[in-house]
Amino acid sequence: MTETVLIVDDEDGVRRTFQEWLAGMPGVTVYAAADAEAALRIVNEVPIDLTILDWNLGAGSDGLQLLEDLVEFQPEIVAILVTGFANQATPLDALRMGVRDYLDKNQDLNRATFLAAVTKQLAKIIPAKRQRELNRSLADFREAVAKVLPLVQGSAALHDPLPLPVAVHTLFRFLLTATGAKSGALVVRHLPQGAPETAAAYGPDGNALSVGTVPFSRTLGASVVSRQEPCIMNRIGAPDDSIEWLPFEQGRSTILAAPLRVGPGLHVILELFDKPEFVDADKKLVAATADVGAELLRRALTERQTHRLLFDAVEAALKASEEVTATLEPGRIHESPTQAVLDRLKQSFGGDDAPITDGETGLRLLEAVRILATRHGSPAVDHCLILIESLRKLLDSTHG
Amino acid sequence: MKRPVPMFDSPETFDDLLARFDPKRWLRDPRATGEGIRVAVIDSGIERSVLEDRYAQRGEVLPRIEGAVFRANSPAPLPYDGHQSSPHGTTVADIILSLAPKATLFSADVFGPQGSCEVETVIAGLRYAMDVWNVKVVNLSLGVPEHKLQLLPKRNQLLRAIEEAYYRDVLVFAAAHNDHPVTKSYPAAFGPPLISVDKALFDDPLQFAYALRDQVEFQAHSRGYFGPFSREPATSWATPHLAGIAARLLSLRPTLKPFEIKAILYWMGLALKA
Repeated sequence: MTETVLIVDDEDGVRRTFQEWLAGMPGVTVYAAADAEAALRIVNEVPIDLTILDWNLGAGSDGLQLLEDLVEFQPEIVAILVTGFANQATPLDALRMGVRDYLDKNQDLNRATFLAAVTKQLAKIIPAKRQRELNRSLADFREAVAKVLPLVQGSAALHDPLPLPVAVHTLFRFLLTATGAKSGALVVRHLPQGAPETAAAYGPDGNALSVGTVPFSRTLGASVVSRQEPCIMNRIGAPDDSIEWLPFEQGRSTILAAPLRVGPGLHVILELFDKPEFVDADKKLVAATADVGAELLRRALTERQTHRLLFDAVEAALKASEEVTATLEPGRIHESPTQAVLDRLKQSFGGDDAPITDGETGLRLLEAVRILATRHGSPAVDHCLILIESLRKLLDSTHG
Repeated sequence: MKRPVPMFDSPETFDDLLARFDPKRWLRDPRATGEGIRVAVIDSGIERSVLEDRYAQRGEVLPRIEGAVFRANSPAPLPYDGHQSSPHGTTVADIILSLAPKATLFSADVFGPQGSCEVETVIAGLRYAMDVWNVKVVNLSLGVPEHKLQLLPKRNQLLRAIEEAYYRDVLVFAAAHNDHPVTKSYPAAFGPPLISVDKALFDDPLQFAYALRDQVEFQAHSRGYFGPFSREPATSWATPHLAGIAARLLSLRPTLKPFEIKAILYWMGLALKA
């Protein structure tokens, strides 16, 4: 990163001298202008950090007037005024407009004092400038992330082909009929990386059931997961201290439970209840159904999980940028906070083993709707939604 | 005139030998309690308080159970806090203690909250049991189906660990797959250096059989006494039955080597069948 210095002086010799003095300063790019017009042209094209202005620019214009115009272009510009009439300057106005120092041509202006004044101002400018750039890049980043969020949400909406209650209901409708079990439940345990585990359960109608506060390691489900095969309990008699029943398991006479391999970080246990006696044939049936059931649930659960990860990642990015902004202290330079945020984003995505498989289709549909809205307004989109709904009903009625 | 060659393998000779391996005499010996025998349960952890309650109900005190928790992402074992990752290991421990009530148990929890274990974690648990706990018996009521252990280096790694146990006089009992012989499971399928166990139902939990079938040599009683699914016959419950029987035998003579125990179990199995 370099700092830019603009020298404005109508005297060629002074300009050249100042340029020569500054040529040895590392990380400084020097521009020079002979008059106000040339100076404004440069400032219009190049961001200037520090300007060294001659008080008397000739042809009736003075450096302070020029500075007033320069501030219009760049409010943060800082100036050193070079004058032969330092006592005539108006310090308050000058200070307000960004004059931070004076150099008197008639007194002690030499290479050393000149460079000392420039160095002193640059030392103040650099941290403030970095801070501004940092804030600007963070704002850009937040704006970009905020733009992505609706897309992510839109994509998630389009990727919900099978609502979870429907998936669960479909699975149980088959299994209850085929085995003769009276009821059932699906226990879902989610073990996200670096976050507390969560548990949920669903009844045969797909509605959520209470799981209470039993640690998973004490549940029947934990036993089934470690056995990795369907298991039968046909004689549930005396209380068994080694496990704690979940609310919907209590009072059952028989249980057949099987693990479903749905995806990494997910334990799904299928439980069937209250058949007079489960037999090996039921176990085989459930084992055979487990793969199909797992696929059914995978679509409903892991895609949901993927979307959750996307949301989490975007939210984490926004939060991280807020935190970075909040914790930045004046003068303290953070080299690349945006990179840190991106690393966090990548880390969130890295934990996902089930990426969205057909994002292309979702984006195509979103784009089509966007074009429709742009060209024909929201009534056209409303009409489009009615058509989609009609088509869905038609397909539902023909395909079940 | 040629002298007749002595017929050491005559039926009479072996009847004599067989009679010496009378299971009733050995297994019912009042000193056959498992006392002094260190047994590792490489499984899903042991819920110590549950076993303590069961002992207390019988007016007994549960022998001390030490343990460690092994995780794929942790190079060193984590401390055992007396809890299980799932009830499976507690049921297994209870079976061993039902047959060898004075055995000293060590819990190697290799499952963790994920509910499954990696081959490397099992090996780490096995080595720790040998190096640190100096166990004589290892119970592995777990296995990896053949189709999940296709990688030869990984399979060899497990075989080497089992062989090392054999050469260090450590008896490893491993459960066959519940669908055996349709599905093979490791390490049970490694056979010779360990004692592989299939499921069967017997009237007496001290009964067992030698029934060689597709690399699996023994059958033992396959119902547990408490815990979910323990009443359902499974190789997971058969294995600790035979491990418990071995612990009983070892408490009579702790220096028996794996091949000696296997031979004794073989002879006893034949006697029980007869």
